[in-house]
Amino acid sequence: MNYKMKKVNIEFMVNNKKRRLSIKVNELLINILRNNLNLTGTKYGCGIGECGACTVLLEGKPILSCLTLAVEVDGKNITTIEGIGEDKLHPIQESFLKQGAVQCGFCTPGMIIAVKSLLKENSTPTEEDIRNYLRGNLCRCTGYNQIIKAVKSCASEQKTN
Amino acid sequence: MNQFRYVSPKTIKEALEILKEERANACIAAGCSNLLPNIRDKKLSPKLLVDITNIGELKGISQKNGKICLGPLTTIAELVNSKLLLKEYPILHQAAEQFADPVVRNNATIGGNLVTASPAADIAVPLLTLDALIKIDSAIQKREVGLKDFFIGPGRTVLREDEMITEIEFESSNINKNGCYIKLGLRKAMAIAVASIVINLEVKENKIVQVRIAMGSVAPTPIRLTATEGFLQDQEVDDELIEKAINKVREEVNPISDIRASDEYRRYVSGVLFKRAFKKISI
Repeated sequence: MNYKMKKVNIEFMVNNKKRRLSIKVNELLINILRNNLNLTGTKYGCGIGECGACTVLLEGKPILSCLTLAVEVDGKNITTIEGIGEDKLHPIQESFLKQGAVQCGFCTPGMIIAVKSLLKENSTPTEEDIRNYLRGNLCRCTGYNQIIKAVKSCASEQKTN
Repeated sequence: MNQFRYVSPKTIKEALEILKEERANACIAAGCSNLLPNIRDKKLSPKLLVDITNIGELKGISQKNGKICLGPLTTIAELVNSKLLLKEYPILHQAAEQFADPVVRNNATIGGNLVTASPAADIAVPLLTLDALIKIDSAIQKREVGLKDFFIGPGRTVLREDEMITEIEFESSNINKNGCYIKLGLRKAMAIAVASIVINLEVKENKIVQVRIAMGSVAPTPIRLTATEGFLQDQEVDDELIEKAINKVREEVNPISDIRASDEYRRYVSGVLFKRAFKKISI
């Protein structure tokens, strides 16, 4: 049987824009976001789903784009870090900057996507809730304390608004 | 990554026809959280990926006639969020909460956890104490296998090339509501278990009416400790019994040494986990 890989056409929304691509079926979502669409905000960390740097939102839920085939997003809606905060910084991004939660910045896009999802599920997370939710997002620089502070501060600001 | 073809059937019937035709060339894909890393590492080289995530019949958690039915596409996140499961079997809910992290849980499925058949399978261990029944279909027949007979070795199950899991079922029962789950890992999160235990217990007037013990990472597959269960049956609960039972547990497990722990440590800690879990729910 001839197993030569065909290309397939996929059409999907990325950050509210419709995109059409012709791709091989074994392409990973992270690679088409970064290479085909030049959305390099999403980072390739470990490639095996352990570090969280590649986290994006699919239909509003966080997923690991290194563990997702691009063909699976046909007809679906994706949000990357570029779609968080458009004309101005999103409150989560503001909070991260204010609290010094960004050092090298490599974990930050995945971290912010995960935080957005956390605050949607739980608008008043405790420190334990935050640490638990972000346990799949690894940071080698900050030691996490500033990240936790940033999430708490953003959550309480959102509450007063 | 290796090349493969991709197909996305919309019904169980369609998927089974594909498996009948393609057999060992095909690999079922759902959450892909284990599958893709394995393909990239060349541990698996399927020629065809059968994406079952669009098959509605494989989704959902429901209750019918005193039985709880789980579709194999139920994600671990859905296990965590299910009010029905929280009521019927809080241990499964606990195990799901400790599984990986909230992001992976959105994709990882219970079918995937069972079929991957790791000796450490976090969802298999609680399901074992429920005497869960696995419904398996192929294009030519349907069959049912008790979960305790489903695993035959590390990474190996009784599933044939043309078969897939279509439902996981267990009885609703009071014993399911008194239980304890402990997962011991080398770190607090994102850990593959060094050893894990689930005990479900029913005690009346200090006598053990029913006890079910399952463990992960201490044998080639997740196991029920039936010999220890037999020993504890009808016994009065006291410290002496617990100490004797610890020895039984240590005799019954069959661990190996690997990068995470030695066999001696696993054997020893099995007894410790048993004691902690048992004491928690027997008082």
